[in-house]
Amino acid sequence: MHPVMLRRVGAVLFTTAALVLPAQAQWATTYESFYLQAPHNWTFRSNYQNADRLFNAFDYGHAILYETLFTKPDAPASLLEETIYDRLTTQILVRPPKVPLEEVAIEPLYARLAPEAKAMFDWSHVLHRQIYDVLADERIADAAKDAEVQRLLDFYRTRPDLAFSSKPKSMALMQEQPYSLAFRQKYPKFNGLIWGYHWFQVGLYEPLLVGKTVAERQAGVRATVARFWQMLREPPASLPYQMPMTAVISPAFARRYPEAAIIFDNLHSMHDVVSDILANPAVPRNRKRAEIMRAARLFRDDTSYVMPVAAWLVMSKEMGVENMGGPAVGFTPALPTPTVTRGAVMQHDDATGRMTGMKVGEMVGGSHANMDHGTPPDTTKATATGHAGHMMPAAADSAKPHAGGAADPMHAVHHPEVAVTAKRVLDLQRALLRDPEIRRRIVADTVLRQLMLESFEGLSASERAELQRLLAVPSRSARRSR
Amino acid sequence: MMRHTAAMAGVTMVLMTAPLRAQTDYYNTDTGRPMLIEDAYALEKRGFELQVAPMRLTRSAGGVYTWGIEPELAFGIARRTQFEIGLPIAYVDQRGGAGGTGITGVEMSLLHNLNVETSIPAFAIAGDLLLPVGRFAPSETYASVKGIMTRTFSKLRMHVNAQYTFGDSLAATALAPVGGPSQNVEVSRWIAGLAIDKPLPLRSLLLSAEVYARQSLRSGEALEWNTGVGVRYQIAPRWVMDGGLGRALTPTDHAWFLTGGGAYAFGLPWRKR
Repeated sequence: MHPVMLRRVGAVLFTTAALVLPAQAQWATTYESFYLQAPHNWTFRSNYQNADRLFNAFDYGHAILYETLFTKPDAPASLLEETIYDRLTTQILVRPPKVPLEEVAIEPLYARLAPEAKAMFDWSHVLHRQIYDVLADERIADAAKDAEVQRLLDFYRTRPDLAFSSKPKSMALMQEQPYSLAFRQKYPKFNGLIWGYHWFQVGLYEPLLVGKTVAERQAGVRATVARFWQMLREPPASLPYQMPMTAVISPAFARRYPEAAIIFDNLHSMHDVVSDILANPAVPRNRKRAEIMRAARLFRDDTSYVMPVAAWLVMSKEMGVENMGGPAVGFTPALPTPTVTRGAVMQHDDATGRMTGMKVGEMVGGSHANMDHGTPPDTTKATATGHAGHMMPAAADSAKPHAGGAADPMHAVHHPEVAVTAKRVLDLQRALLRDPEIRRRIVADTVLRQLMLESFEGLSASERAELQRLLAVPSRSARRSR
Repeated sequence: MMRHTAAMAGVTMVLMTAPLRAQTDYYNTDTGRPMLIEDAYALEKRGFELQVAPMRLTRSAGGVYTWGIEPELAFGIARRTQFEIGLPIAYVDQRGGAGGTGITGVEMSLLHNLNVETSIPAFAIAGDLLLPVGRFAPSETYASVKGIMTRTFSKLRMHVNAQYTFGDSLAATALAPVGGPSQNVEVSRWIAGLAIDKPLPLRSLLLSAEVYARQSLRSGEALEWNTGVGVRYQIAPRWVMDGGLGRALTPTDHAWFLTGGGAYAFGLPWRKR
C-alpha cells in the first residue's frame, strides 16, 4: 500500500478508535439478579424490626454520600460534616424508612458514573441481609444454618462480575493508593459515621450467633443497636477511628463464616475506596470512573493484594478493636478509648499481618504511646526493605491470635484502660506491703497471704519479684538458687 | 345488536389495555402500571412478578364504561431480559344496555435492555404479540416492536418510547366507539411519547407524568394526543402498588381512564449444581 494511503488509513483507524473507545468504556451491561428465594427471606425484618430499619437508613447515608461527593465537589466540607450528617443522625436514623431504599433514586448521577460498582455493592448488601435472615430464623436448626449460609455464599458467587473476593485483601489496597485518605481527612466525622454503619452491619451477626436462646438473641441485638446509638453521642470522638474489621468486631461470626467475614471487609474497604476517589480532587472527573472500575476489579480478583487468612486475623487484632468501636457483644458500658489518632494508617506485613509501622497518624494512650514503631515512617523504604523500620516487639507466633488476657502485652496495648487499672492495683499492692503493720497481718494470716500471692498473677517477672520480696516470699529463681 | 356492541367494545378493551412490563420495585416503571410510557429496564434475572389484580376503568366516547383486569406473570428470563404473559379480561357496561364479560386475547411480550445508563442513556427493545384468544379478542394476531430510551437527571428521569404495530387496519364502526385516552398499544399503528418521573426515595414513592401521540390502527381516525399522571409506591420489599389517571387531549370527547393495582415479586428457587 502506498505510504500516503497507509497514513490515511491509519489516521482514519485512529480517529475511529478515538471516537469508539470512550463510548465502549461507557457502554455498561451489568444487570440485576433476584436474591436467593428461600423461606427465610425477610425474616430478620420480621423479627428485628428496629435493627432492620436502620439498614434502610444506612442505604440512604451511603447513597447521599456518593451523590454529594460526585455532584458537589466544590461544596464546603460543612455540607457533609454538618448539614447532611445532622439530617442523617437526627432525622433519618431516628425515623428510618420502612423498606429497603432504591439507592439509584438517591444517587442517580453516581449510579450513572459507575453502575458496575453500584451493582457490586447492591449484590453484597443482599448477601448481608440474607445472612441476617438465616441467623434470625428460629425455624432453622443451628447446624443447618451453616449449610444455608454456605448456599448463600455459593449463590453470591454465581455473579463473579459482582462478587467481592473471599480472599483477605491488604489494607494497602484501601488506604495506600494515590487517592487514598482524601475522604477521611476532609470529612472525618462523616467517615466515622460510615465506619459506625459498618461496625453495626458486621456487628449484628455476633448477638445472633452467640445468643443461645431467642431471648438472648433479641437482647443481644437490642444491646448492639444501643451501642450503635452510643457511638453517635459525641461525634467524631465516639465514632470508630479505624475501619471496623469483622474478625474482631464479630469474632464468633468470623470464626464460623470466615469467607463471609472477608467478603464484608472487602466490601467495606471498597466503600472507603470509592469515597476517596470521589473526594480526591487529584483524580480528574474524567478519570473517576476508570479508577473505580480498577478498584472494583482488584477487589473482585483473588490475586491482587491478597494476604493469608491468618495474617488477616493478626492484622485485624493489631489494628485494635478499641479503635473500631469495640466488640459487638460483651462490651463495657463506656466506649473503648482509641489508641491511635483518628483515621491513622497502620502498615502491616502482608505475610504475617503484623503491624510494621504508622504511615499516617500516631499511637496515643496506654502502653501504645511508648511503643517504637520506627518513626519517622518512610513507607517507601519500609516496603523496599521488608519494613526495616519496624521495631514492634516480636511475637513468638505472629499468626497466633492474642490470648486476650490481662498479661498479654497486646491486650494492654489495645486496652489502655486495662493497663491503667493494672498499674493502680500494683501501686496499691506496693503500698499495702510497705506498711509494716499490714504486711505483718497479711503474713500472719494464711488466707490473706494466699490471696495476696494470687494477686501477683499477671504481673511481670520483675514486679512479681519486687512484691514477693516485700512479702518476704522467696522468688522462684531465688528458691532454685538455694 | 347489543351483543355485537359488547363484542366490539371488548375488542376495544383488549386493544386499549397495555401489555404490562413487570419490575419489582417502585422506581422502575412498567407499561400500564400505571403509565403507558415506561423505562428501559427489565425485571431482575430469575425474578418473577405477579400482577395480582391490575384494574382499569375506562370511559370511552359515547359513555361506554369498560372494566378490565389483567392477571399477568413476568419472568426475568435472562440477563436484562424479561418475558411476560397476560390474560386480560373485560367487562363492558354500556349505558342503557346489557354488559358482557370475556377474555380479550392473550398478550406476550419480550423486553431486552441493551445497556445500563452511564453518560450514554439506557436503551431497550421490546416485541409484543396479541393473540386472538377469547370472546372479545381481535380476529387476528397483532405484533408490535418498540424502542425505549431512559435518561436520568439529578432530580428526574425521562423516558421516550416509540412503537409500531404490524397488521391490517381495522374498519371503523359506529358500534365500536374507540376513543378517549386509549392506553392503546396494539390498536395503534404507532405511538410516540415521553414520560417524566420524580422519585421520593425516602418514601419509596414515584410520581410520573406522560404525554403521547397515537395514531389508531382503525382507518379514518384522527391523531390522538393523550396525557396521564400516576404514582408507584413500595409498601413492602415484595409489594408495589400503583395508581393512575389520564384523559384524551384530542379529540375532545372527554374520555378518561383510572387504573390501580399491585404486584408481588418472588424468585426462582436455586440449588448449587
